[in-house]
This record gives sequence, C-alpha cells and structure tokens, in this order.
Amino acid sequence: MDLTEQQIERYSRHILLQQVGYEGQLKIAQGKVLIIGAGGLGAPAALYLAAAGVGTIGIIDADVVDITNLQRQVIHHTPDIGVPKVTSAANKIAEINPDVRVIQYHSWFNPDNALQIISDYDFIIDGTDNFPTKFLINDACVMVGKAFSHGGILRFEGQTFTHIPGTACYRCIFPKVPPKNLVPTCSQAGVLGSIAGMLGTIQATEALKYILGIGDLLTNKLLVFNALNMQFRTVPVKKNDNCPVCGTNPSITELVMEEQAVCELKTK
Amino acid sequence: MKITVNGEAKQYEQAVVTVADLLVLEQVASPEMVSVQQNGDFVATEQFETTLIHDGDEIDFLFFMGGGSIPDFSNI
Amino acid sequence: MIHTIDITKEHCPMTFVKTKIKLAQIAQGDLLEVTLKAGEPLENVPRSAAEQGFIVLETKQLHDDVYQVTIQK
Repeated sequence: MDLTEQQIERYSRHILLQQVGYEGQLKIAQGKVLIIGAGGLGAPAALYLAAAGVGTIGIIDADVVDITNLQRQVIHHTPDIGVPKVTSAANKIAEINPDVRVIQYHSWFNPDNALQIISDYDFIIDGTDNFPTKFLINDACVMVGKAFSHGGILRFEGQTFTHIPGTACYRCIFPKVPPKNLVPTCSQAGVLGSIAGMLGTIQATEALKYILGIGDLLTNKLLVFNALNMQFRTVPVKKNDNCPVCGTNPSITELVMEEQAVCELKTK
Repeated sequence: MKITVNGEAKQYEQAVVTVADLLVLEQVASPEMVSVQQNGDFVATEQFETTLIHDGDEIDFLFFMGGGSIPDFSNI
Repeated sequence: MIHTIDITKEHCPMTFVKTKIKLAQIAQGDLLEVTLKAGEPLENVPRSAAEQGFIVLETKQLHDDVYQVTIQK
C-alpha cells in the first residue's frame, strides 16, 4: 500500500511528526475503529478519526437526529433532523475524507450483536450515554480481548480511561450498574456541549495512539476533569482481582444487558 | 485528622472513622453512585461502614458518569 | 548507496515531508542527496532531518540559489 501524492499532502502534518511519519500514516489508513453511539462523544471522535485518515470507521446507533442533539453532537447539522444518525455521520465523513470506508449499523449495540460487531475492529470507542451499554461494551471487549476507550460526561465534568487486555476494566472500577432510582434523571443532568468535544477528542487521540503504537495510553488510570475550574486529574486505578468480568474468578461469563434506569423524559 | 481527598489535602475537625463517615462529611448523597479507592485500593461498597480511615490516607471518590441523557430502550 | 530527490518546486512543509518519505524508503546507512532552494528549504530541511535523528553530512551550492544537502539515514 502506498499513499498518493494527494494523500501525502492531506496527511503532511502527520507525516512530519517523528512518531507518525509515512509508515504511521499507513498504519492509520489500515486502522479499523468502531464508534458506539454517534452522539456527543462519538461525533467529535468520528470527525477527527475521519480527518486523520482511519481506513475503516464503524458507527452503530439506532437513533435519528433530534433538535436537542445539535447543541453538542457536532457531526449532525440542522438539516439532518429526522435522519438516522449513522447516515448523517457517514455523509459528513464522506465529505471530510473520501478515503475513509464507513460501515453503518443502524441498530442498538446489544448482547446479540456485540461480539460479532466488535470482532471486526482494532479499537472501540464507547460514545454511549447509558450505563447498561457501557457495561456491555466493557464485558464484550474484555471477553474478546479488544482495546476500548471509555468516556463519560455530565454537567461540566468528564472521565475517560483506556482498556487493553490485561489492564483495569470498567468493572474493576465500577463493579455493577448503579441502582435504577439513583441514576440522575435527564431533567437533573444536562451537559455543557463543548465538554463532549473535549472528551470525544481525547478518545479519538487514544484510538490513534493505539493504532500507531506510540506514547502511553490511559490504561490503569482514570482521567477526570472539571471544566468549571479546568482541573484535570489522573487517578491511578488497579486491575481488580475480584472484578466480576476480568478477575481471577469471574461471575460474568456471558453477555447480558443489565437492568437499566428508565428515563422519565422521552427523547422524542 | 489529615486526609487527601481527590488529590486535595484536607483537615477534618471531626473524627473520621470509616469510609462511610467520610462520604457523609463530603456530602456524597448516594454511596451506590461512587467507587472509593483508599491508598490506591478499591473499597467494596459493602465495606464502607467497616473500613477504617487513617491519618494521611489518600482517598479517591470516582463517580459514575454516563452522559447527558438516557435513551428509551423499551423498543429493544 | 546514494539516492537523490529534487524538492526545488516544493514549499514548506512539503519540502521536508517529501524528504522524509524518501528517507523512509531507503536503507539504513544509505545517503540521500537533496536538491533544494536557498532560504526556507535550506534553513529548515537539514535542521528538521537532524531533529528526527538523521545525519546531515554536507551542504554545497550547485548554482545560483540551488543547493545540495547530503543526509545519511
């Protein structure tokens, strides 16, 4: 595989980097990243990964674009209201970079399709907004041995970490889905739109570092930030021997969608 | 008693005896929504009441963070 | 082995991008003779090459404002 003259120009700022170079750009071009959820986190991640020239980007989301999404889900534009998010995202990616092959999954990520879908990718980005799916992504990636980036945002805060086989997983930190009645409801929550961009681009950066094999990933550490005072903190976390999915004696051996909190506000 | 909580050095007038006491002092409303690390080791939720805190401990509260909305999954 | 590249028609940063790609394609220890213009290319290409771990062996003037820099991988 070789880059064309046009691609050399397009990716010149990558090629200039000592840690990327021509070879690195070829690795990116051969990279396959799955983005679960084309929302607040998935949108910026998809935009930057597409611009970076990631060869294959998979996007899974069953939703359609709603006007309430536009405040932060920057891959969707006003004329896209009512359009499936995967279609809207694929259209923008094609405009940014026709080199990218987009695979659209217009469905929810669930225990029936999880293992099959993630097996086709090198790196998975959790861009979902609910705990049952976050736990499902974690369990599926741990079971198949895939690297993924966890991301969460709320109000003015964000958190993220990266899992690769053998390092701490989501359940090492949070063993089980939080109780239904304690999850903040949609009406209580809210999020500053730009926070989604801050976190989604960190996740995209982790995906690129993983594909390139450079730097230190956010493994065995949880990055948390609060945008109100712009404080970033990296909390070391350990792989937990008692973890229900990656511990020495796991109690979770098959995928299930755990009971989820029911939101009082319907999205539509 | 001096404890480092989420990277911040704190001095408590009151006696902080257990993880559960600290959660009350730090006004953490729902213990089920927080994961606690004591000097880098996780404390199981069931042990919050019985895990003692010592002077100089480094405690981290890690909170669940999902996102801005929770979709309706009743259609799957 | 000695390789050559002419970047007199390129502008920053494509001057070093093209040089770097050529360097990636040649064997360790081989030499690359880069033909370039005075000014920005002559100032920056050897410096960038040195920063990224290549050895700049010599710089000579070919004619007018055209120079040749020899870089070892």
